[in-house]
Amino acid sequence: MHGRAELTLSGSTLECGGHWTARDLAHTERELSRLELPAGDISFDLSRLRQLDTVGAWLLYRTSLLLEAQGRSVSYQGLEERGARLLALVEKTGGSLGEPPRPYAPGALEDIGRKTVKHLEIYRDFAAFIGNMTIVALRALLHPTKLRWREIVKELQLAGFNALPIVGLLAFLMGIVIAYQGGVVLRDYGANIFVADLVGLAMLRELAPLITAIIVAGRTGSAYTAQIGTMIVTEEVDALRSLGVAPMEMLVLPKLIALVIALPLLTVFADITGLLGGMFMANALLGLSAPSFVERLTEAVALKSYLSGIGKAPVFAAIIAAVGCFQGFQVFGSAESVGRQTTVSVVQAIFLVIVVDAAFSVAFSKLGI
Amino acid sequence: MEVHNLVTHFGHHVVLDGVSLSVRRGEILAIVGGSGSGKSTLLRQIVMLLKPTAGSIRVLDTDVTEISDLEALPLRRRIGVMFQHGALFGDKTVLENVSMPLHEHTHLSPDLIEQTALLKIALAGLEPDSAALYPSQLSGGMRKRAAVARAIALDPELLFLDEPSSGLDPISADALDDLVLQLKALLGLTIVLVTHDMDSLWRVADRVVLLANAKVAGEGTMEELVKSDHPVARQFFEGPRGRASRRAAGA
Repeated sequence: MHGRAELTLSGSTLECGGHWTARDLAHTERELSRLELPAGDISFDLSRLRQLDTVGAWLLYRTSLLLEAQGRSVSYQGLEERGARLLALVEKTGGSLGEPPRPYAPGALEDIGRKTVKHLEIYRDFAAFIGNMTIVALRALLHPTKLRWREIVKELQLAGFNALPIVGLLAFLMGIVIAYQGGVVLRDYGANIFVADLVGLAMLRELAPLITAIIVAGRTGSAYTAQIGTMIVTEEVDALRSLGVAPMEMLVLPKLIALVIALPLLTVFADITGLLGGMFMANALLGLSAPSFVERLTEAVALKSYLSGIGKAPVFAAIIAAVGCFQGFQVFGSAESVGRQTTVSVVQAIFLVIVVDAAFSVAFSKLGI
Repeated sequence: MEVHNLVTHFGHHVVLDGVSLSVRRGEILAIVGGSGSGKSTLLRQIVMLLKPTAGSIRVLDTDVTEISDLEALPLRRRIGVMFQHGALFGDKTVLENVSMPLHEHTHLSPDLIEQTALLKIALAGLEPDSAALYPSQLSGGMRKRAAVARAIALDPELLFLDEPSSGLDPISADALDDLVLQLKALLGLTIVLVTHDMDSLWRVADRVVLLANAKVAGEGTMEELVKSDHPVARQFFEGPRGRASRRAAGA
C-alpha cells in the first residue's frame, strides 16, 4: 500500500493528491519548502487526495499557518468529510502546541560542579553504608542465633561453591603462565629449580588472592548489584521494609558473611590449582619432576607467605560485598539504571581490591611479613 | 481481523482451545475473561508476538499465523499496541518514545517528526510539559497515555490495548475510556481491548468476547451477554461488581 504524495502548483492553487501519509510525505515536505508561490491568496485543491493521516493534515495546517502569517488567506477545496474532520482535529490540538519542553542541559562548568558534588555525596553515602553495615554485622555476631542462616548458606553455594570451577581453572592457567614466563628465563641461567620459588611465592602471596578476588568481583559483585537493583525497581525492597525487615539484615549481611567465608576458601583452592599449573608447566618445559618441585616449594616458601595471601581474602571479600550491595541500592527508576550501576560496581570493586592489595604489599614489606 | 480455531499449548498447559472470533473495521471489541483465561496470550498472538500451536489468524487481510518478522514489518506499521504496564523505554523521554516509530519507519524531517509526536502526545491527553519527562517520572495514568501516544504515532488502522485501565484510579480510568472512544470517533480506529474492567465494558465496547477455560464462553453486545446462560458469564455479570456496573450503565 505504498502510494505517492503528489504536489502540483498551478497558478494560485496547490493541488495535493495521492497519499498524504507519514510514509510518503518525506520529499513532499522538502518540495513544499522550496516552492515559490505567487503573491496573493492560495487555495488548496484536495479533490485528488486518496489518503490523509495526521502527519499529512499537520503538514497542511502548518503550511496554512505559514501562509497566513505572510498575510495571505488560505482556503481548502474538495476536501471530503473524513479529511475535514481530521484537519479540524489537528487544528484544534495543534493550535496550542508551541515549543516542546527541553530537558535541562547545564553548561560545561556547571556540569563539572554538579558532578563533583554528586561524587562527594556518593563517597559520603558509601561511608555511611559501610558504617551501617559494620554496626549490623557486629550486632549480628553478638547474637549468632538471629542470623539468617538459610540465606547465608544459599549465598555460600552461589558465590563460593559454584565459583570453584572457574576459579580453579583460571588459577591453574595463571600457574602455567607464570611458570612458563619465569622458566624460560631461569633456564638460560641453569637455575631451573627456582621456578618453584617463583611460582610458589608469586601465586601464594599475590596472584591467587588477586585473581580470585577479581573473578569474584566480576561474577558475584555484579550479581549482588543486579539483584538488589532489580529488587529496588520492582519495589521488593520497599515491601521488605514495610514488613519490618531491614534490607541491610536480610539482603546485605548474608552476602557479606557468605563472601567473607567463601573467598578465603576459594583462595586456598586457587593456591592449590595454581601450584599444580606451575608444577605441570615446570615439568613440561624444564623437565622438573613433581617431587623435586614440591620439595623446593617447602624450602622456599614459608608459612607466612601462604598466610599473608589468605589473610588478604576476607578484606577483599568485605570490599566486594560492600561495593556490590551499595551500588545495588543506588539503582533508581529503570532497567537502564541497573545495568549502569552493575558496571560501576564491578569496576569499583576491582579497583579497590587492587589498591588495597598494593597497600598490603607495602605494609607487609615494612612489617617484614 | 479474524481468528479461527486457535489452539495454544505451553507445555501441558492448554491456554487456548479452539478460540475463534472476528473484529469488524471501525468497531471496538473487548476481550474479557478471568485471570489466566488466555486473553493476554490471545492478544500477543494476534499482534504477532507469539506463535499459536494450531489455528489461523488474519489481520488486515494478511495471514499472520506463520509470518516471519521481516514479512510482518509492513503490517506492524499499521497496527498499534499498548502494553499493560506501558512498556515505555526507560532511558528515553516521552517525546523520544513517541517519536521513535516515526524515526524508524519514515523519512520525515526531524522537525515534522517532533511536531507529529507532540500532536500525538496532546491527542492522548497529556500536557505538553510531560513530553520532556522520563517514564519513571510519570504517574500510572500518564504512563498509559504516553504508551497510547506511542501506539498511535504512525496512525495505525488497528489499535490493541492490553488492560488499559488496570491499576488506574477511577478518574484516570474514566478518562482513558473517554480517550478510547475519542480515538475511534476522531481517527476512525478499530480497537481491540483486553480488559476485566466492567465499567469500561459497558461504556466503551461495541461487542464483547468472553473467554473462559480456554474457550469462547460468549460473544455479543453487553446487553446480549448479560442474558447469557453460560455459567462463567453469569459469574462475571451476576456477581457484585457485575451487577453494580450494570446498574451504573443503566442497563
